[in-house]
Amino acid sequence: MMDTLNLLMGGFATALSPVNLLWALAGCALGTAIGVLPGLGPAVTVAMLLPITGQVEPTASMIFFAGIYYGAMYGGSTTSILLNTPGETGSMVTALEGFKMAKSGRAGAALATAAIGSFVAGTIATVLVTLFAPIVAEYAVLLGPPEYFCLMLLAFTTVSAVLGGSTLRGMTALFLGLGMGLVGIDQITGQVRYTGGVLEFMDGIEVVLVAVGLFAIGETLYNALYEGRVVSSLNKMTRVHMTRLEWRRSWPAWLRATFIGFPFGTIPAGGSEIPTFLSYATERKLADPEHKKEFGTTGAIEGVAGPEAANNAAITATLIPLLTLGIPTSVTTAILLNAFQNYGIQPGPQLFENSSGLVWALIASLYIGNIMLLVLNLPLVGLWVKLLQIPRAPLYAGILIFATVGVYGMRQSAFDLFLMLGLGIVGVCMRRYDFPMAPAIVGLILGPYAEAHLRNAVSIGEGSFTVFFERPMSAVLLTIVALVLVTPRLLAWRRRA
Amino acid sequence: MNQSPVDEEQPLLLTKGQRLGQAALGLGVLGVAVVMAVGAAQLPSDAGYAGVGADFLPWVVALALGICGLMLTRQALSGGFRNMALPSGAVHGDWMAVAWVAGGVAANAALIETIGFILSCALCFVLAVRGLRLSEGKGGGNLKTLLRDVVIGLCISAPVFWLFTKFLAVNLPGLTQTGWL
Repeated sequence: MMDTLNLLMGGFATALSPVNLLWALAGCALGTAIGVLPGLGPAVTVAMLLPITGQVEPTASMIFFAGIYYGAMYGGSTTSILLNTPGETGSMVTALEGFKMAKSGRAGAALATAAIGSFVAGTIATVLVTLFAPIVAEYAVLLGPPEYFCLMLLAFTTVSAVLGGSTLRGMTALFLGLGMGLVGIDQITGQVRYTGGVLEFMDGIEVVLVAVGLFAIGETLYNALYEGRVVSSLNKMTRVHMTRLEWRRSWPAWLRATFIGFPFGTIPAGGSEIPTFLSYATERKLADPEHKKEFGTTGAIEGVAGPEAANNAAITATLIPLLTLGIPTSVTTAILLNAFQNYGIQPGPQLFENSSGLVWALIASLYIGNIMLLVLNLPLVGLWVKLLQIPRAPLYAGILIFATVGVYGMRQSAFDLFLMLGLGIVGVCMRRYDFPMAPAIVGLILGPYAEAHLRNAVSIGEGSFTVFFERPMSAVLLTIVALVLVTPRLLAWRRRA
Repeated sequence: MNQSPVDEEQPLLLTKGQRLGQAALGLGVLGVAVVMAVGAAQLPSDAGYAGVGADFLPWVVALALGICGLMLTRQALSGGFRNMALPSGAVHGDWMAVAWVAGGVAANAALIETIGFILSCALCFVLAVRGLRLSEGKGGGNLKTLLRDVVIGLCISAPVFWLFTKFLAVNLPGLTQTGWL
């Protein structure tokens, strides 16, 4: 315990250095901006900025990236309250009540409860990360290849089977991602796979390329193809302020949502969609009868406070599996994993020993970032709202320029730019036909690791797959995987019967 | 997240184009599966001590994608994909608009190494803006808007080029060796 505190203090010392503070501020501001702007998410932004890892030292760039990750969540809520088109998936639920509140002239209160709720939840969740991450890391050291493989299997199943409307489309996306991950030189045997004689494929397909292609290019093409005539209306801003009653209605929702959101971030359940919805449902159920009728009509403040807090708690908690196990549970953490790898750092249980300075500076920067974001988003919210006035055409066309920097800057290949366009077209199809993107990205990133762990595990078992059932931990994990796959079907079957 | 969850049993009513698109997508996945299988067959299966060789995961992926492709095609032919969220935006795509945008990206890819980052990205910007404006039903614009787009494109791409090459040491191609253009 004392140890943790000392390490955290050391982290603060690093994170509070002027240069790192500046990086945190830059990250938070940029994150808020891209959260407010439609068309760009934190994952793509971090992906496009990955080339800076060649020049900036690891601690500074991780603080910068974490600021973007966080800031986008704060900014996303502003857009979903003021504009009828939510930016981030995590903000969709906020839009349900937030947009209605803004429409009935309470935009300021909705923005305030969203920002303060995000701050409360983010800070509590960061405390929980501080307390639990080292403990998880300690146990994670005991995991061998079979357990790691089962954990990744669990990540694959939850991200593709639980999220989205259809397990079939989730699985399709997952295996497409795994397939892309196979391209290049096999890590263990050195065998060249699926390059089709194209030299550029020897190094494999970069995650950045896929993320930028599917999201940034896909979004721009989709926008031109289908969304040109969608008219978005901007709600009127009011003074950012909450009455005493609104405070009293907000804070229990923040706290409940924090404890709903946090556990969902730690397990590989693919981000913040489930917890935000759960929190919304909870608040709707628990609300006073007189406030209950505000839900869906004039907008209930609990319906903004809860989901926003749940979102931030879940986002923060995703750092636990990322840092302690090296397993990303959302698209953005998958890209962050890539950033670590660019420095030759492999997140996992050893991270807390080998790179403890970096880890604790990163955690300390989360505390600082939350405070910065509260300031950036409450008094200065009017500044960000101005961003919503940028006309759509130059905004999306400008995104293409940044996409070019991210993809071309990676390894100076024009071939990658053509590939990016191809993936953009794939992204349009996926979006139009409701295929989830996260499984593809998680499959692409974790696929090679899962394969390596699988092979190591089977060689531990001397060529036999029974090794997965003989070790208690991996047997338990496999049971969970089976439950995740079977339970929803069983429930659906019972409901029908 | 499903905005309008539909019961497994009741597919959405689809237009003919959407149904064709779904079937094409299912067949496309099946095609990828076949390509993956052909590739897997050419890999050595020598596993050594590892028990599973370099061709194990390729076969798993090929097989799984094959099953997914078959099931998607079947769903598409029997009334459409199940549990679809309604896609956002218009029912019919604006193909002219998207062609301009995609053309911009393709032109950028083709020219970036000959005319340099700044000019190539500005060109991409101009073409894409035109496409996006067409999609809004505003028309492509006249000479004045064209000139304005060129200026805006240059005003974005040039500072981006300098920022990334000078401060962040990212290699981006220039037209000249000066490092400024």
